[in-house]
Amino acid sequence: MSKHDDLLAGLGRFSEPALYILISLADGPKHGYAMTQDIEGLTGQRPGPGTLYGAIARLESRKWIEPLPAEDRRRPYRLTAAGQRVLRHRLESLRAVARIGRARLAES
Amino acid sequence: MTTARRLLRLYPPAWRARYGEEFLAMAGEGALSARNAFDIVMVAIDAWLSSDVRDATRALRPATNGGGMPMLKTMLACGRRTTVTPRDGLIGAGVMLAVNFIFAGLGVWLHRSGWLVTGEMLKGLAFPASFTLAMPWWAMKGSPWKAQCVIVGGTLLVLIVLSWVAARI
Repeated sequence: MSKHDDLLAGLGRFSEPALYILISLADGPKHGYAMTQDIEGLTGQRPGPGTLYGAIARLESRKWIEPLPAEDRRRPYRLTAAGQRVLRHRLESLRAVARIGRARLAES
Repeated sequence: MTTARRLLRLYPPAWRARYGEEFLAMAGEGALSARNAFDIVMVAIDAWLSSDVRDATRALRPATNGGGMPMLKTMLACGRRTTVTPRDGLIGAGVMLAVNFIFAGLGVWLHRSGWLVTGEMLKGLAFPASFTLAMPWWAMKGSPWKAQCVIVGGTLLVLIVLSWVAARI
């Protein structure tokens, strides 16, 4: 497990929604509602508003995402360079796990 | 006042000042589902207890005039001056395990006896209730006992109502 994986795992029960938020912001800034729609399309499950903002607060405190000026009442967020690094490492780690899992399935 | 706006009042003032408006814009001004209401309440508890979130919102918030729940503020301020010992941790863990076991066992027994809604409610309530009842041994240690009664009792009441609603859906 790399240093970046440790950091994401340190978010506890918010680590999974945080990963989805990072993925959602990877193609450009989004506000909370757009993120929930995107995550629902990605995973089939819509995160609750509390869970979403619990994860956003943690990501923002670690400077992995940053807020942009509010548009009406909605505030978009964008991925920072540090957030991109964390996401890239996490996805590479998941790809390695998936590859091993597929290989073991093929052996059995 | 909408349900989301009411539930937002459970969050720390700094959190509300920082995320309140956009949170309400996302949660919507209409009726909330029981699942989302439960989610908001559970994350409100986390927002009070997590030093991570407290520090983040304190650093990020615009200037506010305070407000919020004075008793809870006093409780948290007192709690910060108290050391949680390994013995407290063990007692808290014991309380959590015991309450989980009692609620889950009672829930299963009631469910099998035909009390479907009450059984489901108790099973769903087992973990949040055990977490809440164990708080006097760590998060609220050193706080005035009246504050502990209000916070633990109030949270349990909210959890019971939400679990009852969720179990009937």
